[in-house]
Amino acid sequence: MKRTSEESQSRLPDNSALKQQQLPAYRLQLTATGVLSGFFATGVFCLGVGIILILSAKSIKEIEIKYTKICGNCAKLREDATNFDKECTCSIPFYLSETMQGNVYMYYKLYGFYQNLYRYILSRSNSQLMGTDLKDVGTCAPFSKSHDGTPIAPCGAIANSIFNDTIILSYNLNSSIPIEVPMLRSGITWWTDKYVKFQNPRSKNLSIAFAGTTKPPSWAKPVYELDKEDPENNGFLNDDFIVWMRAAAFPTFKKLYRRLNRIQYFTEGLPAGNYSFNITYNFPVTRFRGEKSVVLSTLTWSGGSNLFLGLAYTVTGAVTWLAFFSMMAIHLMLKDRKMFFTQPAIKSSFKKKSRKQRMNSEVTNRAKDL
Amino acid sequence: MTVPKEMPEKWARAGAPPSWSRKKPSWGTEEERRARANDREYNEKFQYASNCIKTSKYNILTFLPVNLFEQFQEVANTYFLFLLILQLIPQVSSLSWFTTIVPLVLVLAITAVKDATDDYFRHKSDNQVNNRQSQVLIRGSLQQEPWMNVCVGDIIKLENNQFVAADLLLLSSSEPHGLCYIETAELDGETNMKVRQAIPVTSELRDISRLAKFDGEVVCEPPNNKLDRFSGTLYWKESKFPLSNQNMLLRGCVLRNTEWCFGLVVFAGPDTKLMQNSGRTKFKRTSIDRLMNTLVLWIFGFLVCMGVILAIGNAIWEHEVGTRFQAYLPWDEAVDSAFFSGFLSFWSYIIILNTVVPISLYVRFCAQVSVRPSCLPPGGGGLPRRPVRVGPVRGSLPEPDLLSPCSVEVIRLGHSYFINWDKKMFCAKKRTPAEARTTTLSEELGQVEYVFSDKTGTLTQNVMAFSKCSVSGRSYGDVLDVLGHKAELGERPEPVDFSSNPLADKQFVFWDSSLLQAVKTGDPHAHEFFRLLSLCHTVMSEEKTEGELYYKAQSPDEGALVTAARNFGFVFRARTPQTITVHEMGTAVTYQLLAILDFNNVRKRMSVIVRNPEGRIRLYCKGADTILLDRLHPSPQELLSTTTDHLNEYAGEGLRTLVLAYKDLDEEYYGGWAQRRLQASLAQDSREDRLASVYEEVESDMVLLGATAIEDKLQQGVPETIALLTLANIKIWVLTGDKQETAVNIGYSCKMLTDDMAEVFIVTGHTVLEVREELRKAREKMLDSPHAVGNGFTCPEKRSSAKLPSVLEAVAGEYALVINGHSLAHALEADMELEFLETACACRAVICCRVTPLQKAQVVELVKKHKKAVTLAIGDGANDVSMIKTAHIGVGISGQEGIQAVLASDYSFSQFKFLQRLLLVHGRWSYLRMCKFLCYFFYKNFAFTMVHFWFGFFCGFSAQTVYDQYFITLYNIVYTSLPVLAMGVFDQDVPEQRSMEYPKLYEPGQLNLLFNKREFFICIAQGIYTSVLVFFIPYGVLAEATRGDGSQLADYQSFAVTVATSLVIVVSVQIGLDTGYWTAINHFFIWGSLAVYFAILFAMHSNGLFDMFPNQFRFVGNAQNTLAQPTVWLTITLTTAVCVMPVVAFRFLKLSLKPDLSDTVRYSQLVRKKQKAQHRCLRRVGRTSSRRSGYAFSHQEGFGELIMSGKNMRLSSLALAGFGARSGSGWLEGLRRKKSDSAGSPSAGPPKPLRG
Repeated sequence: MKRTSEESQSRLPDNSALKQQQLPAYRLQLTATGVLSGFFATGVFCLGVGIILILSAKSIKEIEIKYTKICGNCAKLREDATNFDKECTCSIPFYLSETMQGNVYMYYKLYGFYQNLYRYILSRSNSQLMGTDLKDVGTCAPFSKSHDGTPIAPCGAIANSIFNDTIILSYNLNSSIPIEVPMLRSGITWWTDKYVKFQNPRSKNLSIAFAGTTKPPSWAKPVYELDKEDPENNGFLNDDFIVWMRAAAFPTFKKLYRRLNRIQYFTEGLPAGNYSFNITYNFPVTRFRGEKSVVLSTLTWSGGSNLFLGLAYTVTGAVTWLAFFSMMAIHLMLKDRKMFFTQPAIKSSFKKKSRKQRMNSEVTNRAKDL
Repeated sequence: MTVPKEMPEKWARAGAPPSWSRKKPSWGTEEERRARANDREYNEKFQYASNCIKTSKYNILTFLPVNLFEQFQEVANTYFLFLLILQLIPQVSSLSWFTTIVPLVLVLAITAVKDATDDYFRHKSDNQVNNRQSQVLIRGSLQQEPWMNVCVGDIIKLENNQFVAADLLLLSSSEPHGLCYIETAELDGETNMKVRQAIPVTSELRDISRLAKFDGEVVCEPPNNKLDRFSGTLYWKESKFPLSNQNMLLRGCVLRNTEWCFGLVVFAGPDTKLMQNSGRTKFKRTSIDRLMNTLVLWIFGFLVCMGVILAIGNAIWEHEVGTRFQAYLPWDEAVDSAFFSGFLSFWSYIIILNTVVPISLYVRFCAQVSVRPSCLPPGGGGLPRRPVRVGPVRGSLPEPDLLSPCSVEVIRLGHSYFINWDKKMFCAKKRTPAEARTTTLSEELGQVEYVFSDKTGTLTQNVMAFSKCSVSGRSYGDVLDVLGHKAELGERPEPVDFSSNPLADKQFVFWDSSLLQAVKTGDPHAHEFFRLLSLCHTVMSEEKTEGELYYKAQSPDEGALVTAARNFGFVFRARTPQTITVHEMGTAVTYQLLAILDFNNVRKRMSVIVRNPEGRIRLYCKGADTILLDRLHPSPQELLSTTTDHLNEYAGEGLRTLVLAYKDLDEEYYGGWAQRRLQASLAQDSREDRLASVYEEVESDMVLLGATAIEDKLQQGVPETIALLTLANIKIWVLTGDKQETAVNIGYSCKMLTDDMAEVFIVTGHTVLEVREELRKAREKMLDSPHAVGNGFTCPEKRSSAKLPSVLEAVAGEYALVINGHSLAHALEADMELEFLETACACRAVICCRVTPLQKAQVVELVKKHKKAVTLAIGDGANDVSMIKTAHIGVGISGQEGIQAVLASDYSFSQFKFLQRLLLVHGRWSYLRMCKFLCYFFYKNFAFTMVHFWFGFFCGFSAQTVYDQYFITLYNIVYTSLPVLAMGVFDQDVPEQRSMEYPKLYEPGQLNLLFNKREFFICIAQGIYTSVLVFFIPYGVLAEATRGDGSQLADYQSFAVTVATSLVIVVSVQIGLDTGYWTAINHFFIWGSLAVYFAILFAMHSNGLFDMFPNQFRFVGNAQNTLAQPTVWLTITLTTAVCVMPVVAFRFLKLSLKPDLSDTVRYSQLVRKKQKAQHRCLRRVGRTSSRRSGYAFSHQEGFGELIMSGKNMRLSSLALAGFGARSGSGWLEGLRRKKSDSAGSPSAGPPKPLRG
């Protein structure tokens, strides 16, 4: 339709499939065979996956111990913020009736802690955490600077509210001597978090690198002293810190705390027996009516406990099959009245409809007679 | 300046009417107009509008401010701005600012560019019209001046074939007696020439010096829109001369057959009748647009509701939980209470959830306004040159640009291009493709219920062909094959060869050679038959070179008859006031013309009395059969009955018939009769009646010669198209300026009216009471009729909501209504319009004849207003412009002489039959596609947005979004736009042949079945259902799940990615299901969108981007970490299955249990049972008809006198002198008096005899 075509000899539109709307195409039609077999296949698939998922979820061993109430005195102590320097420990004995085979993971779980609040999630500075610009605290309100104006490192509400309980699992091999279960604190973060997202400022000495900044108000120790035992696990690269900084989507969440180091007694996993958690209780949850617990769990091929997914698949599969059978029944019933799918249907459907359409079919016939 | 009374108010309220540059007279409304010739100073003090027209809106300086101001008057833009301001408040902001400002700037910029281009074209076309040259008499000399400089009171000179620049009072012309001929096709669509005459006193002002001294003053009515009326007075030399329409040349007319003429400008520019008659340009919106307005309001209400719910939730949460959570996240400084926090969160949620408001659809209304071309005002003063066979001239419409921001516009644009590209709507003869001149109405083409059609040039070709004749009982003209049987259509033998006749017209085609044989063998009847045709008419001939004859016929019928006679060897060659020269079989014979007994509406016949060279006096008469058969000599009864049979047969074929007869008069009788006639014509009172009875006396006891049948050639395929459209439940009303007889005739020949109709009501009343009575009677008849109950060809039920008492709607359909202009004027009055509409709608066919352009618009407006139905007007002439502009959709027939209709139209093509393809194929598909598009659009936006709502309950109502900001920005623009666009452009449910074969498939559009409030709610419900699943299934899974390496899965970012991916996949599968026609493009877009989603996802989450902008791309590493988890994929699969399966099941069940016609057709397509189309069977078959066509002369009375007086013969003054001497000046004087009487000026000054 360019103007040049007006001048050209013929103004006849191009005879291309696109322009004549004759593009070769597949006409999508919901045929009975297609739909029914689709439903059948989906049903089979869903049921299959569902059953596999349920079975694997059943094979998971998991223990969860809520310790807010058990450590009630500590909880009370922590409700008053002025007691921040008073240490409070709490020991929770429990009995493992079955061996937890394979890798065992220890989580802390918080109830009612809103890591997903809009302002909370934004309150961090990625450029600071990358170690490039420690002073960049612009996005960290309301925890960007201390009262005297020193930038906080790590800044922001997420960092400030870090979960700071220490949980140690002890195994009572005999009734008397508790053995501290060997736990790894490494390998609990995403590779990208540890090596891309979080970087310490480049400096031999972390404390010098963090000079000119101050620790977050709720923290007892500065960021470069988080792990006294492993100097590599300090600063922004502290694994617990990185885990915490990956904000949870829902107010109830669990975060990976430690994983079992399968040595000594624990090469097969956690053997059955008496255990206890020794918790240094620092993180106050009763203030916001929250709760916290500690979880021990094994994994399967698909990750942790996934009963919901398995059940959902099974139910979906069942419903799909139900739908399949009812549609099959309806289809077979209608097949007797085959006219629906053949030519006369057009007229019969006229007749069944309103008076007006009857009239119109007469017009059609009359037109034919003409 | 008065606003014309008859201009419906609605026109005034339309969007932004083109602003004429009119200066209001300082004292307000103009009551009368005074214009003095050659006195600009005097005229200037009235401040009349100049002849300059202005349709543009801006100039370079005012463009930016005015355009921005206009744009921000659009709700959508203001809304955008408001959102933007909200986002700039840090406490409220919940999305980054670029999510809003990018689209806003984009829309503003694109709209501005569009407006600028449009205005540029308007400037151009204005300039073009305003700068046409005309010769103006200034200070005693003729000067070339552009049109815009012509002022009221100027005298301008026009030359042959020029357009009239303004409304002029004709002063003098090159022709004798100040006559001049004009063609008014641009004005009223009639192509026959009209005569205008200057008043005697001015007709002598033939040279410039005298004209320059002319200082007459015209006092007349103020500008108005009545094309056929003018009243005024010329004051000159202390005497008064009445002026009438007969003295006026109106802007838009073309001067013909007149070398030059002078005129005094009375009305200029916007005051001209042409401009006053053109409806204001009005921006058309489709009914879906209007529905969308409502829906957008509802959605907005819904948005506010959700905002309120979430805000209340926020206040409660902050009060219960948030206050205790302050150690970890203190309230913002500005927030001092939970209530205030809730208030802020309301606005935050408005920002987040605003994606439910289809603002990107809504934006187009601002764009649309500017897209519509502001056409040249019709007859913007005519055209620089006649664009006749050059192919249609593009109007001021710029090429639609592809930048349109909104998908709806893009889809409509695509549909428009399909119309432009359609090979099957290309007219090979005129080399004209169809053209969508408006790109914003396409889906409305699928909803049309009423078609208003012009007749001449639209249904008919305005070509009369001598088709058949009956000569003394034998019928000629059937197409015969070799064996002498009637041939089938399509297998025509060679036409008759007229080459033996050197004077024959090459264009003439006749199929029956036996007639020529009869003439050649000297059949006296055939000779007399054609002799009559060559003598009894008012055609003028012109012979530029020897043997090259041109007939100037006043009506095409007469032209056809005389041409037929010419080809059969009776060539009318020349006439003088008293002679007619005919070449009869090669020899010139001159007849003395004694009298022309002229045609008029009552007589329905015309006769001539001639004396042949032998001295025998004979009267030849042709006329309507109904009249003439009563006046025949009763003797040959047999001939009479066969001729009557033939007449019936012709009429049955929709031909216009005339009966021919002659009568010998002896000298004595003629002498006496001529005397009586002279007396009658000199009579002072009731001259008409006396003349009529004198004529009646001589036209009796005539001898039947035969009958002619003229085919008013229909455009190709008209009856088929009308039949098909009728089957598609579209009602066709014919609105024509033509006469009732002609209109009814065409009604029959194009099968709108049929003989099996119970009755054709004809309303011709002249008073309000008569019309009311006639309408009432018609309704009573319909109600009384035996088949009143039962099959109703009624207006569909959906209009039961309309105000009409709809008793009659259920009435039997086999009625037709014919109403003429006078009656229509009454019927359209406020108190009767409903009655009229009710009656008309109950009829199957409606024909309005003798209607003015404005009445056409009024009828359309009436139906539009009360019927709530989509109307389409189709026409070819300037007289259809107002109707075309008023109707929802205007279609112009292109390739005709005038292009005003095309310029005002929304769609144009060159043949009426393309209408079926435009509506049934393009319109239907457009509607289907648009509805599917809108459904899907709402679905995907609700599915997308409602997820935030559910998440609100888990994030403390803190206005946290579920998705990444970039996903929110790109979801509508990139991830989901192209597949649905491809569907909206390319989708087809049934192949195009099927939609022609089953016109019923058109019905869903008329009944609004595919997108209405119910469908809207279903889409919304489906969208919400999807959002629930897309949110809660990942929630259920992820809340508990851990990754393969033991770490948590339910972190915010992984959840965001999971939900977003599920959503994109679900909506992609859904569009896959909705797409009924998978072309390669659909495949490309659907798979491409998915691919692009993943590509962008991985790019956004890549290390490189994070390293550069750590605070902007926070999701680093998320895609690979999350999407590597089998649990996530199992979740996505489950979500997709659960979202899609119910839809499939539902559709399948609907298909099985309640299939609609298109489903059935699709299935039958599958079964491949071919059925031939019904419409193929619609062949013209002779009916046994009781109806005969009326007299079909479309010419005016009075031409006979002109001929006899010789006034219209340029070189005839000598002859005139002789004539005048013989028959006395009294006769001429009588004629002149009659002339001036008919010109409607009873108080005319004393008529001067032409010759003393």
